[in-house]
Amino acid sequence: METGAPEHAATAEAALVGRPNGAAWAAFLAAGIGTFAMGFFVILNVAGIFAAPAVYGPSGGASGRATFAVIAWLISWVVLHRRWRDRHVEPGRISTVTLVLIALGILATFPPLWELL
Amino acid sequence: MLFSERSLWTMIHGIGLGGGALLALGAALFALYLLRAGDLRSTGAGRASGPMAGLTAFTALMLWLTSIVGMFVVFPPYRATPPEGTTDLAPFPRALVLADPETAWLHAFGMETKEHLPWIAAMLATAVAFVAWRHRAKLFEDPHLRRMGTILLVICFVGVAYTSLLGVFLNKVAPLE
Repeated sequence: METGAPEHAATAEAALVGRPNGAAWAAFLAAGIGTFAMGFFVILNVAGIFAAPAVYGPSGGASGRATFAVIAWLISWVVLHRRWRDRHVEPGRISTVTLVLIALGILATFPPLWELL
Repeated sequence: MLFSERSLWTMIHGIGLGGGALLALGAALFALYLLRAGDLRSTGAGRASGPMAGLTAFTALMLWLTSIVGMFVVFPPYRATPPEGTTDLAPFPRALVLADPETAWLHAFGMETKEHLPWIAAMLATAVAFVAWRHRAKLFEDPHLRRMGTILLVICFVGVAYTSLLGVFLNKVAPLE
């Protein structure tokens, strides 16, 4: 009896399909946190509460805001990934929170919203 | 030389990297649409999951490069402050658009948006790429993962298309030469 490539591929695929989904939702939620962080730093800057220092002088404060948001994203991803990578998580509430964070973060980057502050 | 260095970088940023990201986003969304769970057996989504991981990784890479080149290469000459007494503002695009009330919105709204949205798109696309790489066919099989992946890619596509359009407007009114 031959053990062919298709059998091996099916076994490998089954192993992938059976993997807990925690790491996936950690990545999604972290992206939502990073998006919210971007909007958060923008609002802080517009309100005069905190201006992220320029990471690269010629680019001004925008480089600082972007860098801070990316750092927030990476830290949250590492933390969430470590906590959830071997778990199966229920996606319902996490997906809602993720989408709300993304919506708020994107909204906060729109200049017309700043006029309301 | 036919094009200045600044003009070349603007084209690399907008057309090469941003345009490439848009194309890849469109392809990824189309792939997600085609490889719905109900069609898995007939369309061989298991075999397509590897290429899908590559496609989404390429998308994320293009978005990061677009954001980095935009922020650190193209944005500085755009926002350079003209010396006191300068009358010809053409070499200073931000000052040029702000000097005219009819074009001031291009910076006050357009560029202010462009400073932040591409980075958001890069983070979202990276999340989708990670899931496509780690979970392969599960991205197509699991309805929750597929829905979230699709939503994030749609947000990326709309955001990148929007910022690209603003970039076209800006470059039309105040080209970086």
